[in-house]
Amino acid sequence: MNKATKLRASMMEYVEGTIFIAPWFIGFVLFMGFPLGFSLYMSFRKVNVVATGMTSSYVGLKHYKDILLEDGSLLYNDLIPFLQKTLFMVPVIVIFALLIAIVLNQRFAGRSLFRAIFFLPVILSTGQVVSELLTQGEGALGFMSKYNVSGLISGNLPATWATPLIWILDSFVLILWYSGVQILIFLGGRQTISNSAYEAARIDGAGPWAAFWKITLPAMTPFIFLNMIYTVVDLFTFPTNPIIMRVRDSEYGQFSALIWLYFIIIGIFLIIIFILFSRATKSQRMVA
Amino acid sequence: MDKMLAKIGLRTKRADISARLGTKLELSADLSWLSKVRYSIFGREADKGLLFKLFIYVILIDAAYIYLKPVLHMVTSMVKDGADLLDPSVNWIPRVVYFGNLQDAWAWLQYPKAFGLSMLLSVSVALLQTCSCAIAGYAFARLKVPFKPVLFFFLLITFIVPLQLTILPNLVFARVLGVLDTVLPIIVPALFGLGLKGALFIIIYRQFFSTQPKELEEAARIDGASVYKVFFRVMMPLAKPAILVVFLFSFVWTWNDFYLPSMYLANTETPPLSLGISRIASMIRAQAEISGPSIFTEPISMATTFLMILPPIILYAFAQRWFIEGVERTGIVE
Repeated sequence: MNKATKLRASMMEYVEGTIFIAPWFIGFVLFMGFPLGFSLYMSFRKVNVVATGMTSSYVGLKHYKDILLEDGSLLYNDLIPFLQKTLFMVPVIVIFALLIAIVLNQRFAGRSLFRAIFFLPVILSTGQVVSELLTQGEGALGFMSKYNVSGLISGNLPATWATPLIWILDSFVLILWYSGVQILIFLGGRQTISNSAYEAARIDGAGPWAAFWKITLPAMTPFIFLNMIYTVVDLFTFPTNPIIMRVRDSEYGQFSALIWLYFIIIGIFLIIIFILFSRATKSQRMVA
Repeated sequence: MDKMLAKIGLRTKRADISARLGTKLELSADLSWLSKVRYSIFGREADKGLLFKLFIYVILIDAAYIYLKPVLHMVTSMVKDGADLLDPSVNWIPRVVYFGNLQDAWAWLQYPKAFGLSMLLSVSVALLQTCSCAIAGYAFARLKVPFKPVLFFFLLITFIVPLQLTILPNLVFARVLGVLDTVLPIIVPALFGLGLKGALFIIIYRQFFSTQPKELEEAARIDGASVYKVFFRVMMPLAKPAILVVFLFSFVWTWNDFYLPSMYLANTETPPLSLGISRIASMIRAQAEISGPSIFTEPISMATTFLMILPPIILYAFAQRWFIEGVERTGIVE
């Protein structure tokens, strides 16, 4: 094969790839890229809705200044409690999902029945259904009121941290309802660990406890990472999320600025998780 | 990783021999019955013993209870009649099964019409996303695409951008095109592999395709098959587990989603079920603010919820076996 035909063949491959990706890319530009740019543009403008349509005038960074520096009620009042809750919720969801996934992987009678039950949240937990189901005070754990746990917490912790912690415990069941997809991801991930690794460890004299820490957990690290990302994105973009709720009724220029700031905060959160995990996997590799 | 495995392998052999020696010695001991008892409680390999089984069941039953309780509560309270609601001795099991609530909910939701609309939305979005996301996912996994890293970065952006950031321009878009209050603004993005969680589905497909052996495609290419033939004849039939997972997720999420319908279908006479129940819920809340909370509204809201989640549950009951298998065969992630 001479150079020219080789070049043409590789050109052809690029053309084929482009044809495959083109529909998605067109959709991305139309339904994501353009709207994103539009809302970024509008976040620097003051928008007035009048009878004939919309007029807008340039205000520069005013919206951003208002939100960040002037008026705390726009962002901080909702954001800070929400971030505190998220800090508690993400580990709870991920650890619970990991525990359930590992248990569901064991062989025992009635496994398929339990699996069917644990997929219920995947089917039900989006949208209105959960809030509808759990509005009747089904969210709390029984022992909370019995032992006056919330009194104990608020007595021993500063109020800024006691409130979200009590909220977490009060709506513990609700949190577990958010872990459906995470259980699925862990179940899928658990399948990637070959049984021979466990057999080898067992013959070596490692108990299930050691096997969990030495084999399961390291092999699951990428999935824990994935689940944390998924959970953060899910929590931050949930329609009943307080910031997203309030964003709907403010005016459009400010709305755009607010949600862009919010988007940046999500990004920072994800970057932090990413850095933590790349450190963790690096140190793991060094040990291995 | 390879080194570790090799090490484990070496140790395995050594341990195997010593283990065999160990069992022989143990058998000869008089106290063998004691170890038998110990094995049956703690298990020969610790995860086969009674204690461990018990532990598993305790965790699972506890967690299953958390998930099942609200569902059972929903089913029992929606068939309670007025007398049962007032009687504090009737907690879980109603004395008479009363279908009036369901009938009311059926009428309030305009069930047949709303069901049809929900079905139309979910089935078309699910079908479109199943195809379009597969095509994009295959391109991301295997094909040569110019600026692939940049495009992949865009894909990740799509995944993490909250819907609310782009909804207003899209609304304006829809109004200009005159398709507001029709199903088109919800369905058309799915045609392009966007729409509700489209990016996630593309990522699922990408993971799936990149774990498949390359030899299959190469063989087909050498036999003279075009890339389109390879994709539709070789890769898609292989991707059944991924297809099932994406279809089911897409169907269920679109079915339950009320945000997009509440934006695009706000002024339609019959809203889809998800929007319908959220309207009824806010109606009940408004009522409660005026005349105080009433216990009689609970069966109604439970009945509406039941009517909404019934179809996906039936679908799941049928697809469940393949679905779990699909997830396990790296349908989700790798």
